Amino acid sequence: MNALNFEIPPGTAIAVSMPDVLPAVKPRRGLTGFIRRQPTLAFGAFILLVMLFIAVFAPLLGTVDPTAIATARRTRAPSELYWFGTDMLGRDIYSRVFYGARVSLIVGFSVAALSSIIGLLIGLVSGFVRGVDSLIMRTMDGLMSIPPILLAVALMALTRGSISNVIIAITVAEIPRVARLVRSVVLSLREQPYVDAAIAAGTRTPAIIFKHILPNTLAPLIVQASYICAGAMIAESILSFIGAGIPPSTPSWGNIMAEGRALWQVKFYIVLFPAIFLSLTVLAVNLVGDGLRDMLDPRMAKDV
Amino acid sequence: MLLYVLKRLLTTIPVMAIVALFVFSLLYLAPGDPAAVIAGDQATTAEIEKIRQSLGLDRPFILRFFEWGWHILQGDLGQSLFVNMPVRSMIAERIEPTLSLLVVTLVLAIVIAVPMGVIAAWKAGTWVDRVIMAFGVFGFSVPVFVTAYLLAYVFALELDWLPVQGYTPLSSGIGPWFVNLVLPAIALGCVYIALIARTTRATMLEVLQQDYIRTARAKGLALPGILFIHALKNAAVPIVTVIGLGIALLIGGAVVTESVFAIPGLGRLTVDAILRRDYPVIQGVVLLFSFVFVLVNLLVDLIYTLVDPRIRY
Repeated sequence: MNALNFEIPPGTAIAVSMPDVLPAVKPRRGLTGFIRRQPTLAFGAFILLVMLFIAVFAPLLGTVDPTAIATARRTRAPSELYWFGTDMLGRDIYSRVFYGARVSLIVGFSVAALSSIIGLLIGLVSGFVRGVDSLIMRTMDGLMSIPPILLAVALMALTRGSISNVIIAITVAEIPRVARLVRSVVLSLREQPYVDAAIAAGTRTPAIIFKHILPNTLAPLIVQASYICAGAMIAESILSFIGAGIPPSTPSWGNIMAEGRALWQVKFYIVLFPAIFLSLTVLAVNLVGDGLRDMLDPRMAKDV
Repeated sequence: MLLYVLKRLLTTIPVMAIVALFVFSLLYLAPGDPAAVIAGDQATTAEIEKIRQSLGLDRPFILRFFEWGWHILQGDLGQSLFVNMPVRSMIAERIEPTLSLLVVTLVLAIVIAVPMGVIAAWKAGTWVDRVIMAFGVFGFSVPVFVTAYLLAYVFALELDWLPVQGYTPLSSGIGPWFVNLVLPAIALGCVYIALIARTTRATMLEVLQQDYIRTARAKGLALPGILFIHALKNAAVPIVTVIGLGIALLIGGAVVTESVFAIPGLGRLTVDAILRRDYPVIQGVVLLFSFVFVLVNLLVDLIYTLVDPRIRY
């Protein structure tokens, strides 16, 4: 009588089956498992989702028209009626802050996406085409020696303030860093045996770039993109704050703080609320970046 | 060594040339006709054309670029469009507060951040490390003007320990000068401190695992000596690099910090110039700051050889 269904010769001693010394590791699945394994990423993503929710559903979250001017109720302190108070023109700061989430998120994500794509292309070309490499890299060096905010400020001085111009200005300032990162990854990948093998096998250069090089640049690029997203949100608020960004009629966190600047010593809440939202959002994006870095590249995790 | 310095200086020339080309294109592409602005509202087209010719605005781009570059090399940054003053004197008037702010921030940040990073690496995994690293993340996420307003509100308005705004020139005494700069420098330095502390911790973690550190401990050297002399010296290159690159953050942040604390420096000048679209001034400031940034990073390359004798050129 045994499980294997063959005859055991009489008189044979059979070893008792061993108890399970090491119980099988059951990786936790689903949301709780994700939160346990990547607490930083989960926390950052949670705050970011809340901000995304606020931005998308701003009109439904008890807000009023964020541009409605009512001089009769200027600079009211936060109260039941005006949760975050009102500004110098009597506009409801709660509504302005909620609508302002849209500007920050749009600018942050657009700059991250655009500068990643353009920087990726430049970096790939530079890393693979010897002839143009030094020309491209010297140009990037030149652009990188202009402090990014000043570069964006200088570009904004050329045009009217608008969301798309702000996005373009910050993107231009961020491209060199992405291009450098991609190029350095490409250069180290080119030395890999599997790339040599592909070349030896007669694979065409475009196929090598897109099949063998590109996929391996994506992990560091995504991590970099999340930090760029955070940086772009800060840059947008700085540009708007100094009057070189989003036009003042559009509520953005930088604009609200700029309007509160004259009165900050007496009406601190005007700058306080947009400041809290901006910091929280940037923190969330940075945490997502840290989390992604730990997840995508465990070697880097112990470093920082 | 001297040869290396010369070589390194030569490589900065093309970089600065590209910066200059970019900055010049800015003025070239700027909307509005300087000739029309100078001629005034009542000018006829013929008069505007005459002014344009006298200013040399009708000549080709590349010719004007080289002419402009030649003036820059001689220290002539052009004339402001709105204030009847050369850009160079406008910058000279405003440079002291900005330079003071940057230097005080730099010194404060290094003095605070490097020990923070060293301690975090030494106490890696403990609550001390966690607190410092949490600061590292927060410091990096809170924009400079948020820190600036919070600090000013708490320490100047509520507690009344430090002046709220303004700047006292160095000529009226080092005490008042410093007192006015403390809050702006800490506000501006937060991002920088976070950046330096994170890098210090990361490189120190690696160095502390080396054999010679264990040897030093085994022969009974005092811990501070090991950490700050043996280990820190070997971790210095990435730290110095990040200090140099971070200057770009400081320069960008200075523009905002000066606005919040009403410091009459180059940042204020830049903001005013943007609002008035005073392109020659914007050009001058961008060019100057980029030049400073390039020089600082040249200096960083030279410091490598001082802190790490293994690097020889």
